Amino acid sequence: MSQYKIIFTGPVGAGKTTAINSISDVPPVKTDAAASDMTKNRKSSTTVAMDYGVMNLAGGEKIHLYGTPGQERFDFMWDILTVGGIGLILLLDNTRADPFQDMKFFLDAFGKFINDTSVAIGVTQMDLSGKPTIDDYHAQLQTYGLKPPVFEVDAREKNDVSLLVQALLYSLDPGLAE
Amino acid sequence: MKKGSHTPARIALYGMDDRTCKTMEMYLKGPCRGVAVVVRETEADIDVIDADHPRAKDILDARKAATPNRPIILLSLQDLRIDNTFFIKKPVNVTQIVDVLGKIKAATAPRKVFFNPVKAAETPPAPVEPVKQAPPEPPRKMAMDVYAKKPAGVKHVDVSEQQKTAKHQSAVQLNEGGFTAFLGTVSDIDFEDSAQLLTACYDPRQSFLGYVQSAYKTANLQSRALQLNSIWKPLIIFPESQEIWLDADDKQLRAFAGMTLGKNATGSMVLVPFDNGKAADRAMDKFQNMNTFIWKLALWTSKGRFPIGLDIQRPVFLVTWPNFTRLVITPDALRMAALLVSTPKTPLEVVSLLRVKPQYVFAFISACHALGLLRQSERQVDTVIAAEPPQKSTNKSLLRKILGKLLGA
Repeated sequence: MSQYKIIFTGPVGAGKTTAINSISDVPPVKTDAAASDMTKNRKSSTTVAMDYGVMNLAGGEKIHLYGTPGQERFDFMWDILTVGGIGLILLLDNTRADPFQDMKFFLDAFGKFINDTSVAIGVTQMDLSGKPTIDDYHAQLQTYGLKPPVFEVDAREKNDVSLLVQALLYSLDPGLAE
Repeated sequence: MKKGSHTPARIALYGMDDRTCKTMEMYLKGPCRGVAVVVRETEADIDVIDADHPRAKDILDARKAATPNRPIILLSLQDLRIDNTFFIKKPVNVTQIVDVLGKIKAATAPRKVFFNPVKAAETPPAPVEPVKQAPPEPPRKMAMDVYAKKPAGVKHVDVSEQQKTAKHQSAVQLNEGGFTAFLGTVSDIDFEDSAQLLTACYDPRQSFLGYVQSAYKTANLQSRALQLNSIWKPLIIFPESQEIWLDADDKQLRAFAGMTLGKNATGSMVLVPFDNGKAADRAMDKFQNMNTFIWKLALWTSKGRFPIGLDIQRPVFLVTWPNFTRLVITPDALRMAALLVSTPKTPLEVVSLLRVKPQYVFAFISACHALGLLRQSERQVDTVIAAEPPQKSTNKSLLRKILGKLLGA
């Protein structure tokens, strides 16, 4: 069976693990902490080098949710991580010094994957820092010739993460209906 | 390459945690086809340093001191040019790794001696001393971990912002059943009658919506807080923070939004400056995001009709996606947004293409129009020449299943 996956990326602390946790049907494998307490029957998971969750779909299919760890550590994994990916969720932390720089970095790094699939952007921590606004993000994105969905997101809120993923799916196919 | 004809380079990793080292090991073994293996520091021919590590400068100095003749590869997000080092820009890919290892191999003696810093240098070495220490780099050139948390660079956290709970509430996603009740009905329009659809419009200028939009524009132009007084409750507009303050719940707002304002009501509309000093006295939970507020107001004013002045037989398009997580989501709103962001369509085409009820399309375009997100193509030819969005390969069945899961089907 094919391995379908949605990739969650973004800078450290943007809420990738939390977002995956919000919609995953299993507790996410968070390798930062899990490596030391893996039980024997999960030993194979110790080599997983990213955050991971699963959504169980009708008919027994699964959609795998992969979170790229902070890119300063695992960026060399990206090109293999995206194989089989149906789209990219980019989470940006609005409290960081220059979220636009983060955005550009990730859009560049995943440029080919985005071009082949689609991207939806979630801006987190807007309750802590209101600027840049969502409009500011759109203005910046237009300079790159992109019009992706950009939503304010609380990664702890299942509804927010769900909407972001829905927007990604509709970006791929607006005619899609449940 | 013949089997067994190459010997993998032996590299030691620095500035990386165990997990990163493990992943790098897998990466070299898998995608890089064993071009190098990770070994202990004492057994290595090459040192690889994550130059984005906060202590990268110290690590580099230490490695140069410990094994001055061993080639060093720096990995970084920034373009680094440091004498006697090789550089790979992140994100690292197979080609880069193979190329740099090839350069090192070519530059070193064919047998065991894996180094000659003078020849191996990626950047021109200093002319006098072949193994001269790299010139001191300003601290910012190294350890430029632009994506790690930087306490000094993190912005000020606005505590009061967290108390504005209404502003950051997650969206309400309405299904068809709930939406009809939410939206309200217009008894004198039959949305099943295609002839009546063409005239199913409303005039925002005769409603609270029109006055709020006008007041918001004025507040933005004057760059100061303004208070809109009416026969109802005062509305305070804060253009700088794009907020409004209103002491009313949604039921009350909905009732007032749906009213067509007569002369008496419009005569009571007065816009006055608001003293910002008074803002501190206001209940924090009554603040709302301006766009969220106008969106709701437009839905309740529209009741499934389109705004007057919009020609529903001409194509419309969205400038950007609405910020759906903080808006009331009308039925099929995300589908409509995805379609209208990618290509202009007439509202009636949206009805038929997506098989959405006309009043849902009209309510949605009303709300988008009120926020300034919706534009009308000036000429029919705009549609003709508009590039169709690129077709991306999708597995419809899979996407539907994911959607069903997300929507709780």
